[in-house]
Amino acid sequence: MKKLILILAIAISVPGIAIFLSGCEAQRSLAMQKSGAQLWAENCVRCHNIPSPSAYNDVDWETIGLHMRIRANLTAEQQQKIVDFLKSAN
Amino acid sequence: MKKILILLVLFPFALMHVNAQDFKPSNTQFMVRGYGHTGLNFYNVDGDKTSTFVGAAFSPIFLFKYNNKFIFESELEFELEGNKLNIGLEYADMMYVINNYITVRAGKFLLPFGTFMERLHPSWINRFSNKPLGFGHDGIAPSSDIGLEVRGAFPVGVSTLNYAVYVTNGPRLKTGDDEPDEAGMLLFVNYEDNNLNKAVGGRIGLLPFSNSSFEVGFSVYYAGNVGDTGSEFDGVNALLWAGDLSFVKQITPIRGIIDIKGQYNHSQIGDAVYNDPGDAARATYTFNNQSSAYYAQLGYRPSMSGNKILKNIELVTRYSTLQTPDGSLWEGNESEMSFGINYWLSWRSVIKANYHLKTKAVAGADNVDTQAFYLHWAIGL
Repeated sequence: MKKLILILAIAISVPGIAIFLSGCEAQRSLAMQKSGAQLWAENCVRCHNIPSPSAYNDVDWETIGLHMRIRANLTAEQQQKIVDFLKSAN
Repeated sequence: MKKILILLVLFPFALMHVNAQDFKPSNTQFMVRGYGHTGLNFYNVDGDKTSTFVGAAFSPIFLFKYNNKFIFESELEFELEGNKLNIGLEYADMMYVINNYITVRAGKFLLPFGTFMERLHPSWINRFSNKPLGFGHDGIAPSSDIGLEVRGAFPVGVSTLNYAVYVTNGPRLKTGDDEPDEAGMLLFVNYEDNNLNKAVGGRIGLLPFSNSSFEVGFSVYYAGNVGDTGSEFDGVNALLWAGDLSFVKQITPIRGIIDIKGQYNHSQIGDAVYNDPGDAARATYTFNNQSSAYYAQLGYRPSMSGNKILKNIELVTRYSTLQTPDGSLWEGNESEMSFGINYWLSWRSVIKANYHLKTKAVAGADNVDTQAFYLHWAIGL
């Protein structure tokens, strides 16, 4: 039971750390202004190589984008920007 | 005659209109993706050498997007093993996006217990041809289960926080009745639950930097009862937890991408008394049912090199260990050191040349060393 309490305490403390790290307003607006190309380069590579926009067509990218949003835990904004970029660049 | 001429002039435009309608995309989309691999395995177990080509493994993934909120995913596994074709259902689940922060999944899904099995195990993503010790379908932690999950991600300042919580059928305790050597292990996929208790778990992940290069996660999984209802194992519980981290970034001074991954799994199963048919002196026995496994992996790819061949080469190394309970019939202490050179033919196709040295400690005897060399080709579809 003590272990469970310790584990839960760690789990609860993670959001607290996130809030602590979120202090800088300038950095926050920088993150919001990221382009789809930047997000594509930064997020896909977390698990696999960066896919070429020409690998799939616009319709496929819509499906893949939704699938990856859920599987890789992308935010809704990240998904939309990445898919928009891939569709514009293929 | 005049009418015929008009028709001839208008016909190509009418045809173009029809063609344009033919290719108008619908909201409903069906897509097949997946991955596969094949290759050569060479083993040297304390001087006993074997080599064999391993049959191609093919894992098609079916995606059915009903609309922009609803998607169905399923993965099948086709694999040759011992002159037989094994077919498995890795996952099959429905996913519905409720809003920007909440998505619901239901069915058989990959569990977010750490990141390896959920995100990194496919052969075209995994930098090695095998999985780390203690990970995978026969590992000490769950890879998939049947149930319901809520997950999502949202920005918190410059950081991104993601979460997943789920309830599933949960694991079943192997009592040793069928396989005495595996008494005390957990069987994670219960197509039909063996009791009224459900397993609950979740993962929380934090990407503290705005460039998403670093992620740290913590997972927990608890089942209050893993024994069959009414059996002597009714009430045995299991608590598992995992920590994971990932750092992937292109670093200009070293002209390439550094990829660091790691995960630690811990399993604690409640006390139980098992029968030992192979040892008349001790008809029953018990043990502290605690296991752990972890891996740490480092990769470097000189992606910024001007040389076309060099920029597609990736050097990887991994260390993994597995410790299973002392006193059990499956007790063990294994470690594996791995090195690999991968050549990327494209962003989703790779040739992997891996060397592994596995050491297994055996009580009262010399360690068993296994050297393995794998030459595999993997592709994502």
